[in-house]
Amino acid sequence: MKAGRFWAWLTFALGAAYFFIPLIATLEFSLRMRRGEYSFDAYRVVLGDVRFQETFLYSTVIACLTIVIGVLLVVPTAYWIRLRMPWIRPVVEFITLLPLIIPAIVIVFGYIRMYGSNSPLPFLATTRGTDFLLMIGYATLALPYMYRAVDTGLRTIDVRTLTEAAQVHGAGWTTIIARIILPNVLIAVLSGAFLTFAIVIGEFTMASLLNRPAFGPYLQNIGANRAYEPAALAVIAFAITWGCMSVIQVLSRFAPKSANNPN
Amino acid sequence: MSETTYPDPAAARQAVPPARAEGMRLPLHWLGVAPFFIFALMFLILPTFYLVVGAFQNDQGEFTLANMAALFQPSILAAYWISIRISLASAVLGALAGLAIAVAIVRGGLPKWVRSTTMTFSGVASNFAGVPLAFAFLATLGRLGLVTVLLRTWFDINIYALGFNILSFAGLTLTYLFFQIPLMVVIITPAIDGLKKEWGEAAATLGATQFQYWRMVVIPVLWPSFLGTVILLFANAFGAIATAYALTGSSLNIVPILLYAQIRGDVLHNPHLGYALAFGMIFVTGLANIFYIWFRVRSERWLK
Amino acid sequence: MFKFTGKILSLTAAALMVTTAVGSAQSMDELVKAAKEEGQLTTIALPHDWCGYGEVIAGFKAKYPEITVNELNPDAGSSDEVEAIKANKDNKGPQAPDVIDVGLSYGPQAKADGLIQPYKVSTWDSIPDSAKDADGYWYGDYYGVLSFMVNKDLVENVPEDWADLLKDEYANSIALAGDPRASNQAIQGVYAAGLGAGGTDAASAAEKGLAFFKELNAKGNFVPVIGKPATLAQGQTPILINWDYNALSGRDNLNNNPPVEVIVPKSGVVAGVYVQAISAYAPHPNAAKLWMEYLYSDEGQLGWLKGYCHPIRFNDLAKNGKIPQELLDKLPPAAAYEAAVFPTLDDQAKAKEAITKNWDSVVGANVQ
Repeated sequence: MKAGRFWAWLTFALGAAYFFIPLIATLEFSLRMRRGEYSFDAYRVVLGDVRFQETFLYSTVIACLTIVIGVLLVVPTAYWIRLRMPWIRPVVEFITLLPLIIPAIVIVFGYIRMYGSNSPLPFLATTRGTDFLLMIGYATLALPYMYRAVDTGLRTIDVRTLTEAAQVHGAGWTTIIARIILPNVLIAVLSGAFLTFAIVIGEFTMASLLNRPAFGPYLQNIGANRAYEPAALAVIAFAITWGCMSVIQVLSRFAPKSANNPN
Repeated sequence: MSETTYPDPAAARQAVPPARAEGMRLPLHWLGVAPFFIFALMFLILPTFYLVVGAFQNDQGEFTLANMAALFQPSILAAYWISIRISLASAVLGALAGLAIAVAIVRGGLPKWVRSTTMTFSGVASNFAGVPLAFAFLATLGRLGLVTVLLRTWFDINIYALGFNILSFAGLTLTYLFFQIPLMVVIITPAIDGLKKEWGEAAATLGATQFQYWRMVVIPVLWPSFLGTVILLFANAFGAIATAYALTGSSLNIVPILLYAQIRGDVLHNPHLGYALAFGMIFVTGLANIFYIWFRVRSERWLK
Repeated sequence: MFKFTGKILSLTAAALMVTTAVGSAQSMDELVKAAKEEGQLTTIALPHDWCGYGEVIAGFKAKYPEITVNELNPDAGSSDEVEAIKANKDNKGPQAPDVIDVGLSYGPQAKADGLIQPYKVSTWDSIPDSAKDADGYWYGDYYGVLSFMVNKDLVENVPEDWADLLKDEYANSIALAGDPRASNQAIQGVYAAGLGAGGTDAASAAEKGLAFFKELNAKGNFVPVIGKPATLAQGQTPILINWDYNALSGRDNLNNNPPVEVIVPKSGVVAGVYVQAISAYAPHPNAAKLWMEYLYSDEGQLGWLKGYCHPIRFNDLAKNGKIPQELLDKLPPAAAYEAAVFPTLDDQAKAKEAITKNWDSVVGANVQ
């Protein structure tokens, strides 16, 4: 396996180079704020702002709730389709690709039209309602990734046999999904969760037009017409989001173990 | 996977769906996917319905096919074609590179931290797009970019003199890969996890070489997931505008930029043409999806 | 072609200003009271670095602390603002914009679509006729001219005029601040280049402008990236063609790192006017009207001037000696603005049409 490991390291190193060099270039530029020397001035400007913490906290909470919505929506659906209605898969997959194609701004304008304060479902009439609508919007944006991730994960387990085995022991549907299927696809769900988290933290259009104090609009506001601050922000946002994901990764180790854990 | 029958009569009685008459099965099936469809209807399809309707309307609100006809102008067709090429290029390259990295971290015998770090990093990188990404690549490979300058000072290689230009199809594809590759890594890794060790051992016992194992066992098993992710990457790139706009703004004629100009810009304001453009994009994605399904069905036959 | 003659207009304006010609039936006090009762103003597309809006908004908040200012999407383009009004027709929540600040050509269109409501501020008469709607639906707020923003670290000899840009020393340097197929700033840039190259009317200016950029591109001087202060500082686009107010505030933000010089070209000086309007579906119409009164008061207008935008009442203010000398000193020399050309709505429409349609084919900066 020695040759295999060599190639693995090489691939990893090439990949790391490709990803890190542009980030280093951005970092290098952000350090140039003070003329002639490297300094953290740009970072001081950004991190000293109290709104940074407020908006980041808000977005983090929204992100976690969005992940929950996404999982509750996608896992049972993907499972059911795989089990009972495989013929409907093309339709569902097409629907899940739509959020990638339809610009987010069209979606959010649609929400405002449909769920404004005067409509039968006035989400926008209250702040909490707007928050909820924002989460739903994010879940929609993350749908392609969440669905693909979960579907890929379900593919690797024998859904039918597991279901029948569970039913033999008298399990109801909720038990099957929550205690049998979910732990087995947890790695895939985690992938979807990562992608959702990143999307929510960086998202700008929906939060801004729905007028919620999220991290995306804050980043935009600070970085708008400046040179060094946006580069610093990009680095900070990247680092912080990576940090949060690592936390999620660590927490997931406490989830119920399954046969499919990485070996 | 084949149906397994249990010899245990008690289990047979408990088999779900409850043993009702054939005709009553249908409603129960749909109940399982109802939440998804209701969600999609309420929060994806209906809100954007005015886009579909708007594509067939003019400013006075009358029904017209003029917008759709306008899509067939040479500049717009060229835009679609370039969009498709870039999306395809970045999707396929991204998928292959992502697969390579995913295999490396899962199967390559690397230390444990490599895998978890790569997964979390990829999660973040998959969404690193738009102006920050474009700027990062300009700062790296632009004329005064870090790498460009270093190559010139350390190795005396002037990549621009050699014909490289970040502001080109190749440059844009290279930039797109930054979020395509991680997306592939994140999604395909669980599938590679699913490759049971026993299969590898069984194949070895039967005398297969590594290559044969890969070609005859791994690739066919991964193929449907791989294809599914390729189409996801395709749609991802197809709809991506912010990065292209920031990087090659006025020199690249791609559909999202045209769309942007019509429904978001500062000068033109023909939202109906914009909606028609979006409708066209949905159509192209639908076609790609059909192609993918056809391709996958053919390969899945093997699996059965 | 409309020439902005200050003298006659401001004389008439000064005379008329003596009589109170307010288009609304409310007095100022009633308006303030009603606005405070509404308690909120929702704006859209007002980046803080654009025309000093950050300070203008802060000034409004300081003056009327009972009114919270709710800022939506500072990244929005003019089309977005109009779409936002349309989408929020039935929504009175904080997502509905009360006031908009859009490009000149959007005013008449919004009026025709019934999206805005008329209001004549108390200083209505000192706004030049060509920059406002006779019925009071939309009214010009500020203007700027196109200029060259130059990174002095990378460029030794600054270009003085459009023709200079074609010189060999500026290889791989020049960029527009937007996409000429979508951005007002970029389209006016092409138009201005055309005027500088001898164009006389809208059609010929557009044509000559495109030809100019084609040559610029063929020589290798043109960088087809959307230029920003960041790319200017980084070196990708050392010479940027953008509105003078953006260039000047960008220069201030960069704080000499790198040193920046802003030059108004000698010929081909094009002024771009933006207009204000109140949404017909505004949830807080009185707050909106109060905001307009504030913007068009001397205080508001000078706030824009601090942000390097020429307020629409500039000549009137100058004539009445209301402008502090140090503010005038910070701007490019007034002589440069005398040659400014204000394209009419018709001109703009024609130029826009020609440039957006032909950019790809003529300039051919098409990526293969």
